[in-house]
Amino acid sequence: MMFIAAYRIAWKDMMGDFRRRATLSSMLFFAVAVLVIFQAAFDPDRAEARRLLPGLLWVTILFTSLVGLGRVFQAEEEDGAFEGLLLAPAPRGVIFLGKWLGNLVLTLIVEAGLLPLAFILFNVEAWDAFFPLLGILVLGTLGLTALGVLLAVMTQAARSRETLLALLLLPLVAPLLIAGVQAASALLQGGEIGDWLRLMVIFDIVYLALAPWAFGWLVEE
Amino acid sequence: MARIHAEGIHYAFGRQKVLRGVDLASADGECIALYGANGSGKSTLLTILATGYRPQRGSYRLDGLLASEEGSELRRRLVYVGHHTHLYGHLTPVENLRFFCDLRGLRPTTEALREAVAAVGLALHAERPVRGFSAGMRKRLALSRILPAKPALLLLDEPYSALDHAGVSWLNDLLGGYLRGGGTIILASHDPERVAPLSPQIRRLEEGRLIAEQTTAPRETP
Repeated sequence: MMFIAAYRIAWKDMMGDFRRRATLSSMLFFAVAVLVIFQAAFDPDRAEARRLLPGLLWVTILFTSLVGLGRVFQAEEEDGAFEGLLLAPAPRGVIFLGKWLGNLVLTLIVEAGLLPLAFILFNVEAWDAFFPLLGILVLGTLGLTALGVLLAVMTQAARSRETLLALLLLPLVAPLLIAGVQAASALLQGGEIGDWLRLMVIFDIVYLALAPWAFGWLVEE
Repeated sequence: MARIHAEGIHYAFGRQKVLRGVDLASADGECIALYGANGSGKSTLLTILATGYRPQRGSYRLDGLLASEEGSELRRRLVYVGHHTHLYGHLTPVENLRFFCDLRGLRPTTEALREAVAAVGLALHAERPVRGFSAGMRKRLALSRILPAKPALLLLDEPYSALDHAGVSWLNDLLGGYLRGGGTIILASHDPERVAPLSPQIRRLEEGRLIAEQTTAPRETP
């Protein structure tokens, strides 16, 4: 029953986005724009591209996810919908899980389109590293979106919430992103990747364990 | 079956004390109408009974479940329709009802949900997103949640607002049927005439306390 409730919340959020074509299209447009600008600005050769790509990818994902996170509770502002969610018998952690899943899927869809585009734009001939790199992005996105959704609910009532969300998210998620950049660099340039992956898993576990609990604590009156 | 036992409920917004020791008890199949001036605390009390606010002092139990400790299980036994309808504009009526049911662990068939939508007079709009609905249509759809949920307790804040004359009559038929089935209703209203067909127990909120008034004539039983 709990899984169905979380699934239904995620489904509701994704339906809203697909029908209004709002968040996903904004995120995709933003991600493509950032990559194109980076490519035009640096115009790296192949060796440089392998060195630059991990950082550029994670910067693009971070800023793109901020676009999505800024709207993650937008649907709940309609006609007291967030109050309705909290008055449902579903545990607070399940509500968080649903909101997180919805945002995670949108972000992963963007990443799935972003990565091949980045390989083509930067002429990175390392297609054998494509799926391992996608796996690193997914691993980092788990924690990034968990922390982001939590901070989105914290900043929901603030007047300049997008700014506040960015100010809070950037320092808190920095350790995970640094590990993500290092893991991707090790993959593309050759190097020890295991420690960075383990660090990412640890951060994911910490964020995913604490965020539902903190969400429940936050939304209690 | 809903037995409410609220005792010594206090609630304040900052320094503004709204409820100052409210006691409330109800039995099965009972309708309690809350009256009072604007700002007297009717909506606050209903929100506390729905577990939306936690009382700063006092306790509230529904069927023996303590709100402060068993809120999730308690919420499963009630439906609250307040000033907001809690509907999502991008979803259709059936999808909104499905969402509501899934969050309560209910698994009605799509046919049952369509019937619930039809029962509140929205059959012709079942496949349209709710975004274009009038306030009255949204109110009807919010009230349709009673049908699949079959709650023990129904909390209604100004349920007649946005309804036309036919809508008021329809709502009283719906609520009358619910009461005859043993459900309990607590509602807040500014319009005693509209509530009168439900023969409610009357409570007036004054200066943060509930005062019992006369009971209207008993409901006709079928």
